[in-house]
Amino acid sequence: MAKARGAAGKAGGRRASGQPERIKIRVNGVWHEFAACAEGAGVEASETLSHLLRERLGLTGLKLSCDEGACGACTVILDGKAVLSCMTLAVEADGRSVLTIEGLPKDDPVIRAFAQQCEPGYGTALQCGYCTPGFVMASRALLDENPAPTPDEIKDGLSGNICRCGCYAGIARAVWHASRQDASSPKADGVLRSPEGASRKTGGAR
Amino acid sequence: MRRPFTPRRERKFIGKYRPRIDGLEKASGRAVYADDFANKTRFPDMLYAKVLHSPHPHARIKNLDVAQAERLPGVAAVLTYLDPEVARLKPTSAGWTDGVDTVSYERMMWKRFRDRRVLGDTAHWVGDDLGVVVAAETEAVAEEALRLVKVEWEILPFVLDPLKAMEPGAPLVHPEVSANNVLPADPVGGADVFLTKGDVDQGFAHAEVVAEATSVYHNATQGSLDSWCCLVKWDDDKLTCWSNSYEADQSRMHISQMLDLPINKVRVISPFVGGQFGRGDTGEQPFFLFTALLAKRTGRPVKFKHTRRESFHDSRQPAIYHGKAGALRDGTITSLRFKSIGNAGAYSDHTMFALKFAPAEVAEVAFAHIPNLKMESYGVYTNMLPACMMRGVGNSQLNLVLGHVVDVLAEKLGMDPIDLVVKNFGHQWAAPPDKSLSAVLAEGARRIGWAEKRHAPGRGPARLGTYKSGVGFSFHPGWHAEWQEGRRGRIQVGVRLNPDGTVMLEAPTVEIGTGSNTCNVLGCAEALGFLGVTPADISFSNTVDTDTGLKDTVQTDSAVSFLQSEALAVAALELKRKVLEAAAPELKAEPEDLEAADGWIFAKGAPQVKRRLTEVLWQGDLAPIAVTVSRAPSGEKTGVPFQANFAEVEVDTGTGQVRIVKLVIVNDCGTVMYPSGAEGQQIGGQCMSVGESLTEEIVYDPVTGIPLNFNWIDYPIPTMADIPDIEPVLLEVWRGAGEYGACGIGEGVLTCTPRAIANAIYNAVGVRVDDMPFKPEKILAALGQGGRRP
Repeated sequence: MAKARGAAGKAGGRRASGQPERIKIRVNGVWHEFAACAEGAGVEASETLSHLLRERLGLTGLKLSCDEGACGACTVILDGKAVLSCMTLAVEADGRSVLTIEGLPKDDPVIRAFAQQCEPGYGTALQCGYCTPGFVMASRALLDENPAPTPDEIKDGLSGNICRCGCYAGIARAVWHASRQDASSPKADGVLRSPEGASRKTGGAR
Repeated sequence: MRRPFTPRRERKFIGKYRPRIDGLEKASGRAVYADDFANKTRFPDMLYAKVLHSPHPHARIKNLDVAQAERLPGVAAVLTYLDPEVARLKPTSAGWTDGVDTVSYERMMWKRFRDRRVLGDTAHWVGDDLGVVVAAETEAVAEEALRLVKVEWEILPFVLDPLKAMEPGAPLVHPEVSANNVLPADPVGGADVFLTKGDVDQGFAHAEVVAEATSVYHNATQGSLDSWCCLVKWDDDKLTCWSNSYEADQSRMHISQMLDLPINKVRVISPFVGGQFGRGDTGEQPFFLFTALLAKRTGRPVKFKHTRRESFHDSRQPAIYHGKAGALRDGTITSLRFKSIGNAGAYSDHTMFALKFAPAEVAEVAFAHIPNLKMESYGVYTNMLPACMMRGVGNSQLNLVLGHVVDVLAEKLGMDPIDLVVKNFGHQWAAPPDKSLSAVLAEGARRIGWAEKRHAPGRGPARLGTYKSGVGFSFHPGWHAEWQEGRRGRIQVGVRLNPDGTVMLEAPTVEIGTGSNTCNVLGCAEALGFLGVTPADISFSNTVDTDTGLKDTVQTDSAVSFLQSEALAVAALELKRKVLEAAAPELKAEPEDLEAADGWIFAKGAPQVKRRLTEVLWQGDLAPIAVTVSRAPSGEKTGVPFQANFAEVEVDTGTGQVRIVKLVIVNDCGTVMYPSGAEGQQIGGQCMSVGESLTEEIVYDPVTGIPLNFNWIDYPIPTMADIPDIEPVLLEVWRGAGEYGACGIGEGVLTCTPRAIANAIYNAVGVRVDDMPFKPEKILAALGQGGRRP
């Protein structure tokens, strides 16, 4: 039932001839360089973006729950598009911009709305909180693409994420509230979400 | 905008809609879970542990060759069942560590069923961990090392079906416990016939109408997103274990007794935990221990984390339930009988709790006015995934047949089933009709549109030719009123008042998402009303650390929020006494002549002359004023409240597809402690139950015994797109003991949902499908046979 979000599209910044020796990824606005395919500590071709972000950079906001593209807990934004970082190879992010939840401003309307949801009848937007960073990033990408989604569009846009606590009603409500706050506040961070990314569909083929 | 609940009594903080106290920490991704803590960037010298899983449903290791694995670069240690530190570990039962109170090995609940070996030599299901565990520099190397282990297996015969397992000559799963795969009688669960009252046969003979029903509950799994994980580190002779276990004090006891360490040499820390839902029957038994042994051997911190596949290590207990009810023509039930056969799977764990203890509790609080009653149950070992504890343990299975037999009986009597229920069910402390039961049913009926939407089975109007709608309901006693929580032992909380009026609250309980942390802070602010504090003045730690002293209140039974708040109410009285004592010298008065309210202090009877409490305290000794309370739950019997679920479904008779249109969940809570959290639980429980009712099921290959769908693509958990309109309704009708008289609801909220859906399906199409999940092929088969199942 989980609608799988696509892995990253074509990787940018690669050399035309074979594997690069180093890869560069811009994470939350800062470029990071990694040795690629080297012996020992280098980024291997099979290393996922989620692993690189968590284990090399310590960005543990994204969660690894299913590690196979079914739950959305590892969602990050790559060049403006929500992707599953467990289904994206680190080398695919070469030359590209990654936004993790740590890179969102503290007062991002999506974060605020998830934190504050308590409108009677819908419950909270989070309980255990494990799926929350993935939902927040998926919601951020959704609102960047569609600033005023209808309830059905919210449902569709977030149906690649699993919340086992079942806070779907609260989440949908929070995203709706965030979309109203977004409209009245300037985008806090226009750099990392590229214009072409913003116009792409977030949904993808399984 | 939906209708908020109306509290019976207005309070300052309790009963108010508000954000969770951990909302921002979680929404911004800053909340740290065990897997985030056990990270290479924090522990660069950390090793990763991986354990061998059996590819066979029943097999014994004859020989193990680990030479190649040991030689693989990057492997730091290989530990096998033959190593002395493993071989000397005592046999145990997962039921020991999945408890409500701290208990010792000697006093564990299921002493008769110590059927587990930590890293033993025998596998009892496909996926069982045994034999060998490795620690390596990376997870990939650890996995590769396990592939290099040469295992010579002795393949043993296996059995998956509990009915076949009960037949003479069936393969024996645990001959050391049972000679016929049936779990023997035990002191807690009781005999096979664990409850009798009156004479059921005579009751049926006396009845004018008799109804019988069989319901089959299946094996959905908890599916916590935060897979089991721990990091163990030794500092000289002291062990520290960070984990996502939902109990800290008991884990400390477990590790201490299994590894023979003094309690003060074991420190257990649980940070945020990403969901619990009852998982705990397996997993922490072996892996805390072998991870600790690997860390000892290597002298380095070792991490163990389940993969998603490995996280399928426990499920709800599948159960076949037969129910029979007899009644007089006026609807008076004269006799009631239930018989169940539960599939315990490979280990007994809490099977007897699910099959006997929980149903016996239901009988006490819901069947008290039925004169003749018999309940009988058999827990059966098979070579399947161990199955027991899942949100609503035991109650869900019983409710599936209870609501079934009630629906069949009502139809035979020509009665509205709501009337039949109200006439007969309730606890012994009040004669029917039970106020709480009547209230939840009436409110649910109103919200779903029972009177307008219900029709004769299968006789409603059809949309587009094939779509037929129907409504159904089920009811259940709430549980975990305070008197039922005696098994927990003492609840411990501590409050420290700083001289500036801020408060340090210690109410340890692992934060698994239930909202009890928010409830604690609200309860503390409410109880300390005399100080005039608000929740913002209260510090609370979401991390439980056994080295800080107080026992954590275990996150089970949905009862933590009110249990700790009740203890806080007691602590507040003591704190107030101490505060007045501390303020007395400055005011040149006797403490007993003083009174405090809303942050002011004044002479009794003269509130017009008052001083700020903080200003007075600031003049005295600046040491924090501290109170610790260690209090057993009140034993005062207060009965229990009830809950009801109503469902509206639409069934496509062309495809057999069931679409749930609406779910209404009504809970009488006594006192709603934290409505935003309670509604979250109500809605969340329905989401879980939608999956359990329609799509979630672990499927086995019957020929090989191999489970086929240990992943979230083939085991479909509902997403936002699959969830119907859900209306949560909170009531305060019943009242328990104590300051709040509340009860837990988190587990119960999904108990009635499957039966409500099944009865709605019957109302829609006029044929019954009573084995879960209610998949299209079953609906079509039932329609094809006019309701007669093969």
